[in-house]
Amino acid sequence: MIEIASVSKFYNQKRALDGVDLTIQSGKIFGLIGPNGAGKTTLIRILNQIIEPSTGHVRIGGVPLNNGHVKTFGYLPEERGLYREMKVLDHLVFLARIRGLSKSDALKASNFWLDKFEINPWSAKRIDSLSKGMAQKVQFIGTVLHDPNVIILDEPLSGFDPLNIQLILQEIKAMKKAGKTVIFSTHNMNSVDEICDEVGLVNQGKLVAHDHVSALREKHKTGAFKVRYKGNQIAFANALWTGFELIHTEELGDQWFQSVIKSRHGEAFNDVYNTLSSSVELQLLEEQLPGMQDIFLELVTHHSHE
Amino acid sequence: MNKSVLIAFRELKERIGNRSFKLMLFIGPLLIVSMIYLLLESGNQGVTSMKVLISDPTNLFENKIAARTTEGVTYYFYEDYIEFDAFKNSPEFQEFDALIELNEKVLINKKVFLFHREEPNLQLKMKLKFEIERRMEEVLIEQFTSLEVDEFRKIKQPLNIDFINVDDPYSQADNGVAWIGYFLGYIMIFFIAIFGTNITKSINREKMNRISEVILASVKSRQLMLGKIFGNLLASFLQLFAWIVLVALGLWVLQSLIIPELFTPEHLTGVQVSDQQLKELGMQTMTQENMPMDLVFHRVNYWWLIPNFILFFLGTYWIFASFFTIMGAMSGDESDGQQFLVPIWILLSLTIFAGYNTLSYPDSGLTTFFSFFPWTSGMVSMIKVTVGVTVTQYLGILFAWFIQVSVGSAFILLAARIFQHGILSYSHRFSLSLFFSWLRK
Repeated sequence: MIEIASVSKFYNQKRALDGVDLTIQSGKIFGLIGPNGAGKTTLIRILNQIIEPSTGHVRIGGVPLNNGHVKTFGYLPEERGLYREMKVLDHLVFLARIRGLSKSDALKASNFWLDKFEINPWSAKRIDSLSKGMAQKVQFIGTVLHDPNVIILDEPLSGFDPLNIQLILQEIKAMKKAGKTVIFSTHNMNSVDEICDEVGLVNQGKLVAHDHVSALREKHKTGAFKVRYKGNQIAFANALWTGFELIHTEELGDQWFQSVIKSRHGEAFNDVYNTLSSSVELQLLEEQLPGMQDIFLELVTHHSHE
Repeated sequence: MNKSVLIAFRELKERIGNRSFKLMLFIGPLLIVSMIYLLLESGNQGVTSMKVLISDPTNLFENKIAARTTEGVTYYFYEDYIEFDAFKNSPEFQEFDALIELNEKVLINKKVFLFHREEPNLQLKMKLKFEIERRMEEVLIEQFTSLEVDEFRKIKQPLNIDFINVDDPYSQADNGVAWIGYFLGYIMIFFIAIFGTNITKSINREKMNRISEVILASVKSRQLMLGKIFGNLLASFLQLFAWIVLVALGLWVLQSLIIPELFTPEHLTGVQVSDQQLKELGMQTMTQENMPMDLVFHRVNYWWLIPNFILFFLGTYWIFASFFTIMGAMSGDESDGQQFLVPIWILLSLTIFAGYNTLSYPDSGLTTFFSFFPWTSGMVSMIKVTVGVTVTQYLGILFAWFIQVSVGSAFILLAARIFQHGILSYSHRFSLSLFFSWLRK
């Protein structure tokens, strides 16, 4: 478990982080989201001990963050690079060794990951001869090859093609399965929806939201339902009359429609079903929960206006 | 393994893999050996064989010179006076390359003139000098003593007196050696300039590559900085070591294979000059006639100089490395960094000037200042130890070195503070306000 307690960071007069309190459970994928300049990178740098907090502290499994944790962390920064003149295998061995692995272990781990990502034939090539996608795979391997317990990935999917995005997402899920904690910072809300268990939203240096993804979606639901039905459109509208607002209707065929409705008084799924089932033949009824994209926009806009 | 060591070895590997490093590995020693060869050969130019006409109106030499003929020189005797103009212009003498004039005054003033058309080379000069002097010696012994020639030569000892001012160890006699010290100091500054600039470049490249954040998640910024400094130091030592080995090898090749006749009198063609004979000529070896050769092969104690060179190199590198690090951390990109290296190069130039000043005015107040000023003391100390110092003077040099390392360490701490912030800052402009802001943080 990672405990971040009252962590602030000041740069001269500027406050980059403002009293962030956050607990990240072990074995979960935690999405750290927020607009540009919100303080995500500062928080990530503090977790990686690249910079120290001005106030507050971080504990890992109850132990204050210290040099010994370097070995147990893997970090893929947003601004990432490689030594262009080095050979792939040498580079990976170097990265593993500065994370504390012995030479033989570093070599073994590098070869394992090169095989896994099917790029072992490139191990003797110089980094500057690799394609962008290939270099990104090397960067990802460099982050995880020392088998860290905490993996911090800052925009890990940027620049990857869809195939490689799937590959990386699979790996992240596999790490979760293996009990690793993944901190996943991204602007790609679809991937947050897809893989994150919990989300923390940082804006203007403050943590403005922190919850399970499903809880956040539940919390920010708008009472919208998608309904597909067969029957008379007027009968459907009459059934909605007092308690619901018709947002949108699409004609799918003869007497066949799909609509989006919004409850006025927070009616639950069963209420909607009971209201509509007697008037039309229901084919589909689905509560429309907001995506992380919507929640993000709502929270950031709301917080910025405060 | 210590992370700084890992970083240092990575830096070293990168430097070694660099094409310019490989190129300089061979070009540097080749240039030095070539320069030495040219210096040596400069004293050995000119014609290598001569027909020498000896004008001997009093028949002093009785038409003989050496017991046997020698290669390269053929003597002809002419029992009359020859005017200088006649020798120069008359068709009768055009076949002769040189004229030796032996008039009756030669027994009193012991002065012999040799007029040549083309300059003889060093070996030929040596042969002529040796043979004429020996023959003249025989004549003098015969005329003025009752001794046998062999007996005379046994008691003849050359007397050389060197006048050295106790307060002036850099007397004219040692000036040449001081130049060797200056040359070594120059090499030291050259290496520091090259490998110091590499520190700046390496920091800039790391920023450009955006690898620094990955590395800093594993190592402390201080470890990264020291790794870079030591990595470049190792690379410079490696190149220096290769230079020493290659230059030594080059000098051995020069001495043994290319121009052996300049080094070992036994190999002199035609004239079998023994050590004893050289002593008779007032020389320890043939090379004394050739000043650069004498300096390079006889006057310098390399076993004393090399350890001292390493000591002063370490101190001077240490103090300059902090500056190169600060420049790398402060600059936003590589071109920015290059531009702001100029002040360091000016400081390095001051060191070169300090060396020259030490050669010219070894006892001046400015030299004393330079010998303790941390950025110049390495160069001044190098010259001093090359010329030779007393134990007390050497202790003074060690004290100057201690000051240099202490000041260097203070600057390294300062550099570490700047580096900590600079390594994570990209694409900014170099400014003093930024420098002070990072220093305060």
